[in-house]
Amino acid sequence: MPFGVERRYLPGTNVLETTFHTDGGTVRVVDVMTLGGPGLAPFRELVRRVEGVTGRVSLAWRVEPRFGYAEASTRIERRLGMPVATSGAGAVAVQCWNTEAMVTDGGAIAGSVDVGAGESALIALSIADREPLVFSSREQVERRIGATARTWAGWSGSRVYDGPWADAVIRSALALKLLVHAPSGAVAAAATTSLPEDVGGERNWDYRFCWVRDSAFTMGAFLGLGCAADARAYFWWLMHASQLTHPRVRVLYSLNGGAHTPERVLGLRGYRGSGPVRIGNAAAGQLQLDTYGELLQTAWLYAGGGNRLDHDIARQIADTADLVCRMWRRPDAGIWEVRSRPEHFTQSKMMCWVALDRARDLAERGLIPGDHTRRWVREAESIRDFVETQCFSAAKHSYTRHAGSEELDASLLLGVLLSYGDPATDRWAGTIDAVRRELQDGLFVRRYTGEDGLEGSEGAFLTCSFWLVEALAVSGRLDEAAALMSQLVGLANDVGLYAEEIDPATGAFLGNFPQGLSHLALISAALAVAGATAP
Amino acid sequence: MSVWGAIAGGFAGTVVLTTALRAGNQLNLTRMDLPFLLGTAFTSDRTRAKALGYVLHLLVGLAFALIYYAVFLAIGRSGWWLGAVFGFAHGVFSGTALVNVLLPLIHPRMGTRSTAAPDVALLEPPGFLMLNYGARTPLVSIAAHIAYGALVGGFTSLAG
Repeated sequence: MPFGVERRYLPGTNVLETTFHTDGGTVRVVDVMTLGGPGLAPFRELVRRVEGVTGRVSLAWRVEPRFGYAEASTRIERRLGMPVATSGAGAVAVQCWNTEAMVTDGGAIAGSVDVGAGESALIALSIADREPLVFSSREQVERRIGATARTWAGWSGSRVYDGPWADAVIRSALALKLLVHAPSGAVAAAATTSLPEDVGGERNWDYRFCWVRDSAFTMGAFLGLGCAADARAYFWWLMHASQLTHPRVRVLYSLNGGAHTPERVLGLRGYRGSGPVRIGNAAAGQLQLDTYGELLQTAWLYAGGGNRLDHDIARQIADTADLVCRMWRRPDAGIWEVRSRPEHFTQSKMMCWVALDRARDLAERGLIPGDHTRRWVREAESIRDFVETQCFSAAKHSYTRHAGSEELDASLLLGVLLSYGDPATDRWAGTIDAVRRELQDGLFVRRYTGEDGLEGSEGAFLTCSFWLVEALAVSGRLDEAAALMSQLVGLANDVGLYAEEIDPATGAFLGNFPQGLSHLALISAALAVAGATAP
Repeated sequence: MSVWGAIAGGFAGTVVLTTALRAGNQLNLTRMDLPFLLGTAFTSDRTRAKALGYVLHLLVGLAFALIYYAVFLAIGRSGWWLGAVFGFAHGVFSGTALVNVLLPLIHPRMGTRSTAAPDVALLEPPGFLMLNYGARTPLVSIAAHIAYGALVGGFTSLAG
């Protein structure tokens, strides 16, 4: 049957509404992951409500529960009359109202819905993890749908942002909130694993971890949008997670705070034949010096937001600055986690400078122990010497990807965003121009030129486009920044979400989805433009 | 034999039993969560239910230790092995009658075979040998109860 379809989130919420238009009528499908609330509710619950709007429409539905990445066997049986899929200590029950659930031969649970105007059907997946299932009444499920929508609307309504592109900023904040692992406060880089950066290729990674790299942007977004509680939870999680490896900082941590994230390949074909499908992330063991700058910038932002650094955390931050003094001369894998040989990446050195500069500032304000401040200042000067003499190309009139190279890297823009350099200087104006000249293609900005140790190519990295907006804004090139930003906001999908990358040729999303860093960079760019234009 | 030994054994046995069930949970062997089942009989708040459930489970563990003690007295013998045999019987009884039949009858939030169109949230019933909570549940439960019984029997005889 021919049909038209449109989707939206209910305003200010993470409740998805899809409307189907057919010759026979119109039907609305509302999808909600409920937030629990008072009374006994399932451990997790995913609900779909089908509402007839006009005429009469029939739809088929189907659920195929699988456990352990489909490696574990699934058993489907009936409990209290409803189908329940179980495997090990996990279970999913399918509860239905105004539709009948049938168990099919292929290990699926399926049914059909036939609704007229004003009628509705409800399908609820009740999920149990290491506990008995909880079965609810329809009234309870309906109540949780309403409460969930109200909770989201209340949360987004209390965000403090009245600058341009407010819808995109609030949608990004809502997406970010969905990436928060509530039990710990950690923020996942994305909700998925192994959506390919190059369809059919090997660039498929697991992003369901928290990257320290993203921490400064996360803290900036939380504080900038008035999410004080989220900022506090995130900071505490970050400092406690990194305590496991103190004073070293891992590139990423599991959402529970673990430092062990071994990479494994699953026996799956992958999205559109893009294998291997990986779980875990081997980048965790790399040396990425930039993480130290981002960690100390996070602490600096947190303290600047009026929050207290307790004694242990203050000591931890000072120890981290000492470690940077000892380590900054080493080559590393850089912010992009290249799997080629380590280099002296310019952005890594700049972030080491940022780490020592923020430590110095915190010490001078009496917020962390300042016994080694003079050493931090001395080493910061050495880093600056290194960058200015080894990592700048007179020919390109730009900082370069790594010492002694002529390659470019969009992450250099972080040097100006995190105040390593003064955007008013010729060197930084030249670097921004070089990035535009060599890495920008229309709206899109590639991450770098040169090798990374992997086969194939990738799309344009959306985050870099937003970094460019922010760099233009802080350089006073506001018209250019606003024009680019307005076009980038138009690249979101139909419900305002972004993936990690985009194919410049087709506009198709690539990589994991939704990508936290893309949304964080959008928020940061919008805040920068709004801040620069504020009276 | 001493009643204090039985109580000490009941305490140690319940701690081991609870830990073993929790380990079975974490190892993906079962969805059985006895403190959760017991606590939700009194409150619908998940956190309170679990906290209350642990306390209730400990009290039930002590009560069963006293029952074991009475039987030990009646037959004039106790010991680790005898306790383990009692624990095995206790585990089978729990799976077949106690948790499977009796608990759903008195638990206000647990479904039974006759439940339909509930107007309050209902917990999944355990089923025969608590198999609804996973195929390996009887093994985990019986092994944990054997450990419980052995500790009660052993402590009772030691204190004598």
